[in-house]
Order: sequence, then structure tokens, then C-alpha cells
Amino acid sequence: MKRSEKRRSNRKSGMLAELMAAQKKRTSMLRILSLALGAATIGQAVLLAESVQRIFVENAPLASMIAVFAALLAVMAVRAWLAYANGRIGLRIAADAKRDLRARLLRLLAANPLLTARQGQTGGKVSVTLDAVDEADSYFSQYAPKMAEASIIPLLILVAVFILHVPSGLILLFTAPFIPLFMALVGIQTKHKSEEKFEQLARFSGTFLDSLQGLVTLKLFGRAKRQEKEIQRSSLSYRDATMSILRVAFTNTFALETIVMLGIGIVALELALQLVVFQTMQFHTAFLILLLTPEFYNMLKNMGTAFHGGRTSLGAIRNIEAALTADASSPLNASVHAERSADAQAPTDIKLPQSNVVSLSAGRSAKTSLSAAPPVIELHELGFDYGADTFVLNAGSLTIHPGKQIAIVGKSGSGKTTLLHLIAGLLPPSSGKVTVNGQSLAAGAGEDEWFRQVSYITQHPHIFSGTFAENIAIGADRDVSREEIVHAAESAGLAALAAELEQGYDTLVGEGGRGLSGGEKQRLALARAFLKRPTVLLFDEPTTGLDLHTERILLRAMNELSRKATVITIAHRLHTIRHADVILFMEQGTLIGGGTHEELLDTLPQYAEMVNIGRQGVGS
Amino acid sequence: MNERSIFIKAMLNERKDILLSILGGFLAGIFGVVLFSTSGYLISKTVFVPPLYTLIILTSLVKILGLARAASRYGERLFSHRATFSLLSRLRTAFFGKLVPMTPRILNRQRSGDLLARIVGDVESLQFYFLRVAYPPIIVVSVFLATVIFASFFSIWIALLLVVGMVITAFVVPAIVRGSQRKADGRVRKQRAELSAETTEMLQGFIDLKVYGRLKQREQKLLDTSDALTAAQQEDALRLLRGQSLHSFITFFVSWGVLVLGAYLIVQGSMAGVFLAMLIMASMTVFDESAAMATLPAYKRDSEFAAKRLAETFDGEEQEKVEPSGMLDRGQAISVELQNVTFRYAEDWRPVLSEVSLKLDAGSKTAIVGPSGSGKTSVLELLLKLHDPTQGQVLLNGMSAADLNDEDLWRKSNVVLQEGHFFRGTIRENLLLEDESRDDRELRAMLKQVDLPSKKLDDLVLEKGENLSDGEKQRLAIARALLKSGRLWLLDEPTSSLDYVTERRVLNLLLERSKDDTLVMVSHRLAGLEQMDQIIVLDRGTIVETGTYDDLLERKGYFYEMKQLEQQMVGEDFTDRERESGARRSG
Repeated sequence: MKRSEKRRSNRKSGMLAELMAAQKKRTSMLRILSLALGAATIGQAVLLAESVQRIFVENAPLASMIAVFAALLAVMAVRAWLAYANGRIGLRIAADAKRDLRARLLRLLAANPLLTARQGQTGGKVSVTLDAVDEADSYFSQYAPKMAEASIIPLLILVAVFILHVPSGLILLFTAPFIPLFMALVGIQTKHKSEEKFEQLARFSGTFLDSLQGLVTLKLFGRAKRQEKEIQRSSLSYRDATMSILRVAFTNTFALETIVMLGIGIVALELALQLVVFQTMQFHTAFLILLLTPEFYNMLKNMGTAFHGGRTSLGAIRNIEAALTADASSPLNASVHAERSADAQAPTDIKLPQSNVVSLSAGRSAKTSLSAAPPVIELHELGFDYGADTFVLNAGSLTIHPGKQIAIVGKSGSGKTTLLHLIAGLLPPSSGKVTVNGQSLAAGAGEDEWFRQVSYITQHPHIFSGTFAENIAIGADRDVSREEIVHAAESAGLAALAAELEQGYDTLVGEGGRGLSGGEKQRLALARAFLKRPTVLLFDEPTTGLDLHTERILLRAMNELSRKATVITIAHRLHTIRHADVILFMEQGTLIGGGTHEELLDTLPQYAEMVNIGRQGVGS
Repeated sequence: MNERSIFIKAMLNERKDILLSILGGFLAGIFGVVLFSTSGYLISKTVFVPPLYTLIILTSLVKILGLARAASRYGERLFSHRATFSLLSRLRTAFFGKLVPMTPRILNRQRSGDLLARIVGDVESLQFYFLRVAYPPIIVVSVFLATVIFASFFSIWIALLLVVGMVITAFVVPAIVRGSQRKADGRVRKQRAELSAETTEMLQGFIDLKVYGRLKQREQKLLDTSDALTAAQQEDALRLLRGQSLHSFITFFVSWGVLVLGAYLIVQGSMAGVFLAMLIMASMTVFDESAAMATLPAYKRDSEFAAKRLAETFDGEEQEKVEPSGMLDRGQAISVELQNVTFRYAEDWRPVLSEVSLKLDAGSKTAIVGPSGSGKTSVLELLLKLHDPTQGQVLLNGMSAADLNDEDLWRKSNVVLQEGHFFRGTIRENLLLEDESRDDRELRAMLKQVDLPSKKLDDLVLEKGENLSDGEKQRLAIARALLKSGRLWLLDEPTSSLDYVTERRVLNLLLERSKDDTLVMVSHRLAGLEQMDQIIVLDRGTIVETGTYDDLLERKGYFYEMKQLEQQMVGEDFTDRERESGARRSG
């Protein structure tokens, strides 16, 4: 356990390094280009100073200057191009990094959102893939090239100035550290202060959205006018709070700029003294130093700015990394771990009543390939937990024989859905395994074949954006004719709806298309199942709110579909429960009993109590 | 355009800060130019070995200028940011004020969350219009003009060259960037929206995708979309980078031009050589100011897009509505009638209510039941004038609801919405009292009556009531309604998250308090409806049955079957319901 934690923390600091390591070629290119850029910067200043020296001091004729002018223009063009090239490399690095990060996040999401959904991050996940990745951009596109430039060019300039004139070089050398220092100070202080006020800031900025969302309530209670004033008040408070933070930043920037200006002023004064009083220097040199000094300070300032931008996006990168590693530590990527602990864990002590359908951990059944007949589904010491969550599921071992009707029963929160997801192979077990005809689902192999036999009708079936026909056809893993689709729709009681839609089966539904009601979505899911003719049907019975029409169709369709299939239902209706061959009773994450209705009434007081409460509560 | 006028009005209101920041920016720019040209002049002057005092004057000038420049920058930053945040405040209030009369018509059911978040975001990007779009050109042009005037004392030609440079960097280059952007406009935004929508769809449809073997395919599609987005973003950034590089080359080129032109003029004898270094320094510095122009197109595009979207949101609904003046009589209970009412949500393709007629006597108690999506809530929304019927009319006390004054109607109704909103603030504030005179003892007694004895009036409520359970929110919403003195009670599933015992008690409390008033309650549970005078059963937008509880059971129709079905339910006791919805909220 400790080792794995350590590994994870290593990985944490590692992701950025890993991303940058993949860009080694480009980063060394950045350095080479920066070196050239530094040379061009100095070259430009040299040529400019040389020109002025010749024209102004030496009164050179214009014709003799043409070569120098041409060279200067060329150096300027090269300098602009080098800056562009550096920027472009930065953009390429950023594009690669973003592509990589997004792909990692998307793969993770696609691997298993059921786990992350439980952790309450579904909405956050989308924003991580979009916003955080975009925020990370500037680290690669700005920070990397700017830092390369800033670590090389000022040094070159400094060396050049030292060669030209040591005292000027010393002035630059002594003033230079103040710039990063003040930049850091700005950063630290504003960060400190903004953290201090974070709560306050969050409150202010939330008020506007909060008010917009509650506008109907505000209107009904006659408070809209007053809220307008409240928005103004909180926005102004927000302004004042932000300004007090910014003022600190601005004051530091002020100090910084003063230092730069004074630095330049001192250099100018010193140059003038050298020229006039001591007459130890040439105009050419003095002007050159005067040209190089602002370039030097500008570079350092750029570094500070890039550093700030880099820090923000570094935070975003850390968020992405946290999202990636948090999931890596959850059972999702832990199938190996699951296999191992399946052997290690002592069998849990669950006494299931013997019956013809549930037998305790039957031996491995003969390895038959999956076929049109319903398979044997076995749970082997099945256990599951959501990582950090306190919820633990313990289902023990049992065998579900082909063609049986299984009802999973329990209070809400008892783990019914999780159990069904485990049986379906939608969640990877933390311990133990589920086998289908003797083949383990956890291994990942044969997954496609397994899902080819399964239909799962959830309480809220998803309608994909596409046509009505396409949404039904998704049920089949083959090309289906329009007739088959129409037939499936009719079986699911959707004929009337199809007639009502203006383009019939070719009408767009789902996001951006025609909206369907809850009952219609349920029936659409049924139509998918009719097309698929599954041998295993998983069903999450609706708890409330279906219209009687859908209700009846559901009942009839379920009967029809279940004739050739094993049906596992999360059951909320007494009718379904009574007719089940086996009822699995869940309590607080543990499968505490299995059997027929009558058997459970006799043996499980909790079951009897629940069934009775259900009837009394509503009936009275 | 209306949004622009809102913005301009807000800018005018902040004119003091805006003018001060422009002044600061101008001075900082000018001081910079003077500082560097003075240094250039200073050094050139030394060639003639001038008396020391001129040098001392010049160098002190340089230092004073440096300090003055830093100080004016400070002022510029302070005032421009303050102006920006003040603008935000003004824009928020202005748009909120605009949204008030349009609510809830503008909010359709599914996307309202999106819409509101978008308005918030758009208003925020509009606030930067001043700082990043309107402001830079003003500073660039004013500093440039001052420099040009300064340069014209030495050479009119160099001054002209600077003017050309200004026009190119401040207008031509941004226009070129903008032009190349326009071709690809909205591509990044579109790709981004697509990726977001597809990701969300994958998350929501995960089970269906997985079971139907479409997950791999979808994942590949997502990766492709993501790559397309990355490519589009890279292209966009590359365009901006090209603009920046072009900009910096032009600034180099103009300085080069100043050098060559100056050299020519000096050789010609029409300009003194001592000014050459000064003019070169001036031209190099003045372009520093225009650096912000290179990124301007990106911000301009964003804020213009925001303004356009706000305009689309708000302008469609612009028609000024004259507030009708009809008032309800406070002294009597209110009778309700729907005559052949058909209602369709604007974004929906079929009506939620079709030709519904019903009559509720003053002082009667009615329950509306039916499966989800049957139109129960819409009836209440029509009674509250939150929506207008597509056909037919709603009568209150015999008066058409269309002629009734909205605010008067709301004042006289006690409402519990299904998704009543709770604001960040205290419990007391969230009771939204219209009458501030109620004392705390009375309020505490009310909390106790609705079974919230542990809540203090000063307890903090977070945005959307995040720190309250669904049951607590419902009880608080009921308390809020009970504190009003209207004569029409409109309750939308007010007790759906409460356990039986509490539900029974709260219902009794409501019925007792409303005994002289008209009450309409939407309920998806059938228990506890025995006390109602009338039960209306809706299915798919039409009334299928009406009658008392006993009538309907005896008739063995739709209601009877719903009742049977409800009795079949096992395992969902309602204290769990609250816990479950709590888990859903966090999940």
C-alpha cells in the first residue's frame, strides 16, 4: 500500500516532466533559437550604434552606409522571424501536450464514468477536459519559450555590456536581481491576500448567478427590485476587495518599474560622465550600451510575466494530474489488484438458503462458448468499494442459472444498482469476480461478446442525438432494415409516437431534436431490446411517475422478452418480486439472503418488514 | 443596438475613472518617450563636450521622468481596473433589470442553467471591452500624436514616417489579423461546444453505449473531436502570433526608416546630427505602447461575440409590455377557471396541456395528480402567469388572468414551487418576508411548526441552498409560503421529500391555515388526498378523471389503477428518499 502511494506521488510530479521529455528536440531547438535571437538583438544594437556613429560623429557619406543599412534591416527581419519561430515551437509543444492530456482524460472517462459519477465529479470532469486543459496551454505555449529566451538572452546582453564597459555591466548585474525579486513579491503577496479573501470573492461573484437562478422565486415574492440593489452592492464590494488585492500588486510593480527606470538613468548618467568628464569612452560604445540596457530589463520583465502565467497553468496541470491519479487509484485500473485479493480474501460468511436456482459457489461450469441460449452467470466472493467512499458492497458467491427471473430488492442506498452494474460487467469488482459460462468478465476479454447478449433498461435511458430510427437501431450490432426497426417500435408501443413525429422515423430526437417524455424513453429502450433479442436482460424498474400506458407496455414487453432470457431486475413492485424465481435481498451493501418470496417471508424478518411497510405506508 | 447603449451609458457613468486612467496612460507613454529620447540626446550632446551643468540637468531630468513614468503607470492601472470593475457592477445591474420582466418566459426548461451561466460569462467578458479593446487605441493614438508633434520640430518627414508607422501598427496589422480570423471565426468555439456536448453525452449515455457496443466508436469520435479542437486552437494562436511578429517587424522597420531618413537629412544638411540618436530612441520607445494592439483582435472578437449573444438573448423579448391593472380582492377567496386551455412551451414540439377546462370554486381544495410529464406543473405556472396559455384563457375571480397585474397576483398567492430557490444568506433572509415587521419569536415559532426547530434564523444558507437537504428546503419553502397572507395557495409537490409523519403534519397545517382560501396542490403521491374536495387526474395534457378520493376509487378508473400501482411499491420508504436525493445531489 505504501509503495503504491509513493509511486503515485512520484507520478504526480512526473507528468509534466514526462510531457516535456517528449518534447526534448523542440526544447533544445528553443534554446538554439533563443541563442540566435540574443545574437540578433545584440547585432541590431551594434549596427544601429555603428550607423549613428558614422553618420553623426564621422560624417560619413550616404553611399558608404548602404551596406550597413542593408545589414541592419536583414538583422531586424531575422530577429522578428526568430521570435516568430520560437513562438511557433511553443504552440506546437502546447498542441501536443493538450492533445495528449485530453486523450488521457477522455480515455479515462470512457473507461468508466460510473465510478467517477459516484464520486460526484461528472460535471467537473467535462470542465477538466475542456477548461483545465485550455488553461494548461500557456505553460507550454508561453512559459516554455519565454523562459528559454529569458534564461539566455539577458546573459548574452550582460556579457556584451561587460565586454564593452565593466561599470555599466556591474550596474545591470546589481539591479537585475531586484526584478525577479519584486515579481516574486507581487506574486506571493497577491496570492496571500487573495487566499485570505477568497471566500469573500467567491461570495461576491456567486451572487449574480444566484440571483439570476432564483429570479422566479424573487419575482413571486416581490423582491426583484431589492435584489437589483443587492447585486450592485455585492459587485461594488467585489470591486473593492479585488482592488485592495490589485493595489498591492500595482505598488510592487511601481517599485519594480522605478528600479528599471533608475537603472537606466544611472547607466545614462554614468555613460555621460565617462564621455564628458573622463573622456574614456567613445560615442559608439555609449550609445550601444544605452540601446542594450532597456532590452536587458525588458527580457527580465518578460520572464516575470511568463512566470506568472506559468504558475496559473501549472495549477491547472496539477488539477488534471489529480483527476488522472485519483482515478488510477480507484478500482478502475485495479483489475490486477482485484485478482490478487480475490485469492487472499477469506470467504465471507453468507448463508444463502439452498434452492434450485441459487447454489453456493458452484464449481466452474464447463467452458462453453456464449451462444443463443442464456449463459450461466456466477458470482465468486464478489466485493466492491468506491475507493475513498465509505460504501462497501459484499455479494458473496452465487450462481444464476439460465432463463431464471431474478429480482434484486432492498431499500434505496442498499447497493442494488451497484450489484446490477457488477453483474453486468459495467463496474470492475474490487475483489472476487463474475463469470459468464465460466469465463471471467473482469479480464476484459470476451467483453464484446458478453455485451452482444445483454440489454440493460435503465430508469433514464439515454437518447442520443440522431434520428428516431437510429436510436432504435443502436440496439442491434448489425445492419437492420427499416422493417425490423418499425416492428421493434411497434412491439414497444411506439407506433403512435412515430406517426406523431413530423418526419416519422427520420425525425431528429435527443439533444437538439425533438424531446421525448420519460415514458417514451423507456419504451424506446424496450424497442432497442426487441431488436437485440438479448439472452440476458437487465432492468431497473421505474420507481414512480410512469403513465399507465407505458406501464402496461413495459409489463407486457418484459414478459415477452423474458421468455428466452435470464432477467435480472432491480424490483420495486410487489408483482415483479412475487413472480421472481429468486429474490436477492440487499441491506447496507450486503447481500443477506436469496430465495423465493415465500421463503424469504419465512426466513428474513427484514424482508417481511419491508414488504409490509411498503403496503401499509401507501395504503393507509 | 441596445447592449451597446447599455455599455456606453455605463462607461459614461464611470467617466471620471476612465479619463483619469487615460491621462495616466498618456503621461506614462509620453514620459517614456521623453525619457529615452533625452538619454539619446544626452549622449549625443557629449560628443561636443558641453558644460557639466547641462549634463546634470539632463540626467536629473531623466531620473525624474523615470519616476514620473512609473507613477503615472501606477495611476493608470489603478483607475483603469477600478473603472473595469465598476463597469461590471453596472452591467450586472443593467442586465438583471432587463431580465426581470422577461422571466420566466426567457427560461425554457432544459437549458435555463446554461443560459444563465452564459449571461454571467458574457457580461464578464464585456467588462473587459474597455480595458482591452477600447482603451489601447486611445492611448496609442494620443501618445503617438504627441511624439509626432515632438518629432515634427526636428523633421516633418520623420514625423510623417511615424504617422505611417502608427497607422500600420495600430490599424492595418490588427485589421489583417482580424480579417484572417474572420474566415475561421467561431471554429474554435464550435469545436469546443461540440467536444463538451459529446463528452457529456458519453457520460450520460455510458451504460447504453457500453451495452450496445458503441463505446469504442464513441471514444474514437471524441478523440477525433478533441484533436480537431486542438488543431483549430493552434491555428488560431498561430494567426495571432503572426500578427504579433508582423507588428514587431513593422516597429523595427519604422526605426530603421527613421535612421535611414535621418541619415539622408543629415547628409543633406536639413537636420542636425545631434538629434538622430534621440529620434531613433523616441521611435523605438513609442512602439512599446502599441504592443497591446497586437492582442486586441482576440479580445475584440470575444467581447463582440458576447455582446452579440446578449443582444440575441435580450432583443427578441424587447416588446414593452404594459402592466395590466387588474387587482384581486383581498377580502375574498379566489375562484379559478381554465377555459379550453392549450399550452406549449416555446421550445417544445407538442403541447403539455391540450384543451383543458376546469373550475375550482373559491375556498375549495384541489389536488392535481398524474404521471410525470402530464402537465400538472404547467397548470400552476399558468395560474401564476409565469407563462401565458397558447390558446384559451385562465380566469381568476372571473377576471381574465391576462388583465391582472402580475405583482398584485403574486402578492396575493402563497406559492411553493417544486424547485424553489434559496439564496446565499441567512435563514431569515431566505424567508423573503414582504412584511419586515414580523418579530423573531414569530419566525422561530413558524420554523418549529414546519418541523425545523433546530434551525436558527441566523444560520447560513449557501447558494441554491446547497447545505440544506431536500426535506429541509421543502419545509423552509412551506414556511416561506405560510408567512404570506395571500388567498390563493399554489403548491407543487410541497412534501415529496418528507417522511409520512412529517408530511401528514405539514399537510394538516397547510389545510388548516388555508381553510378559508382556495388551494391547489400538485401531488405525485396519492396518500393524504382524502381531505381534498376534488382530485383532478391528468395524463398527457388532458384531464382523464375528476372527483373526490372516494368517487375515484369507486369508479375503478385511472386513479384507481395508479393507486394500485403505488401500493405495489416496495422498498422506497420516504426517509430514504431524502437520503437518496441527498446522495444524488452530491453525486
